Amino acid sequence: MTDLIQTVGAGLLIGCVYGLLGLGIVIIFRASEAFNFAIGEFLVVGSFLFYLFFFDLHLPFLLALPLGLLAAGALGALIERLSIKPLLGRSPLSMTIITLGLASVLRSSVQLIFGAHSYSFFLDLPDISLESENLLFPSERVWAGLLSVVAFGFILFFLFRTRWGVAIRATSENQAKAMAFGIDARFILLLVWALSSMCIAMAGVMISNFGALSYLTGIAGLRAIPVVLIGGMDSIGGALIGGLIVGLCEALVGSYIEPWGLVGFKDVAPYLLLLIVLFIRPYGLFGTVKIERV
Amino acid sequence: MLSIENLRVVYHDVISILNGISLKAAGGEISVIIGANGAGKTTLLRAISGMLEMFDGDIIEGDIKVGDFSLKGLDSTDIIKKFGLTYVMEDRPVFWYLTIEENLAAAAYSRWDKTVKADMEKVFDYFPVLDKLRQQKAGYTSGGEQQMLAIGMSLMTQPKILLFDEPSLGLAPLITEELFRIIERLNREGLTVVLVEQNAHAALQIGHRGCVLETGRVVLEGPAAALLENEDVREFYLGAGAKERKSYQDAKRYKRRKRWL
Repeated sequence: MTDLIQTVGAGLLIGCVYGLLGLGIVIIFRASEAFNFAIGEFLVVGSFLFYLFFFDLHLPFLLALPLGLLAAGALGALIERLSIKPLLGRSPLSMTIITLGLASVLRSSVQLIFGAHSYSFFLDLPDISLESENLLFPSERVWAGLLSVVAFGFILFFLFRTRWGVAIRATSENQAKAMAFGIDARFILLLVWALSSMCIAMAGVMISNFGALSYLTGIAGLRAIPVVLIGGMDSIGGALIGGLIVGLCEALVGSYIEPWGLVGFKDVAPYLLLLIVLFIRPYGLFGTVKIERV
Repeated sequence: MLSIENLRVVYHDVISILNGISLKAAGGEISVIIGANGAGKTTLLRAISGMLEMFDGDIIEGDIKVGDFSLKGLDSTDIIKKFGLTYVMEDRPVFWYLTIEENLAAAAYSRWDKTVKADMEKVFDYFPVLDKLRQQKAGYTSGGEQQMLAIGMSLMTQPKILLFDEPSLGLAPLITEELFRIIERLNREGLTVVLVEQNAHAALQIGHRGCVLETGRVVLEGPAAALLENEDVREFYLGAGAKERKSYQDAKRYKRRKRWL
């Protein structure tokens, strides 16, 4: 029983991080119907930006994190200006394909600048590991879950309680209508990309903190695919739920099925789950039910 | 006030929609533009409001001016801010997944002043129907309510000139009548209105001046009252040309050539 609680807890904690990753995909998808396949690379770049501030410049964590996230946001905005903006009003498919190219470019750039070796990554955060006789949730996992939920909350607040949030949701629904009412859709798209790369960078920092950081850390970003497809591509709440589901699935499979000799099955399991979900609900669990007027 | 000079517009670099249109809309008047489908009415409004780029259209010749200032090359956000010219797109341009209040707030995005809340209340005064639906998602309201919301949203941008693209599209005659009364009232309160309509009769009745568009050209213009009496307009747009009723049996496809072609 304690075994189960341990597994479920660990799954939910990592699930929050996956949820944040998913959110990064979802807000871009809502705004431009493009899928950002460069998510893994955004994750690595974001983490490296934080690395520069925290480990190279030795800034305190509370300063380095916002700075790192802002830098990631600025980079996301720059990338949007260079590669996505010229495609405004064109097919979302071309944007999606651009992100595939972006992934290669970013990955090689990281390799070129930082090299292919691993950087040790250890955040000296206060120890908040939850421990009882048979249970142990390590400090960095608890921090990861906690900070991800906080970041998620910030984004939700931004989207639903600020003027930019309303404008983002309006633009997400229809760019032409938004433009007609004086909302600068180009700026909103920039904002969305900045916001999304901040989300992803935040998740990246948490994930790097589990081990080390190298250009290969980006593989964790692939988790976002089952997350958003299970949760629904255009649902913000769905991203969180999808993240939790994927985290749980991974943890449960990892401790109950892998010991049978199926090593590595936990990386495949979310995709199997994804297949089942898509058979039953093609738009994902919380994908938008289109408003139909009668 | 608003003048269009020899405007030519193409879509996707090949499809020519406006072939040299010249028009004037005097300040404080309602100018009505009528024309068949594909005549270029919507394109004209898109060109004026800086929305062409969204639809991959280009102005290749001519100019659009408010007063002495050219609108060419500006995009819609600039045009709204600098000239108070707002385009109410056709087919009820509201955001379906936002509540009525959020819709109004979204339309006020380009403003930073403190009077947004007060203006919102003013809109609810104009349209008491919307007051009861504040927290309702706009997608679930009726067509008439959506069109009223769209007009309310355009008012939130503090317009001086409003371009309406077929506000009566898909609405019941009674609602249409109410909408036109509202547009008339807005005009009396000082707004310049450009009204594109298929419902030519109703539009010309509230309009001061009118013009007829055909294949990207202005073929007829004049005071609205004169257009209502014009034989060609009556026959081709008001459906009331023939002196005596004819049996459909001996109706020919084209009874008479339009004189302007």
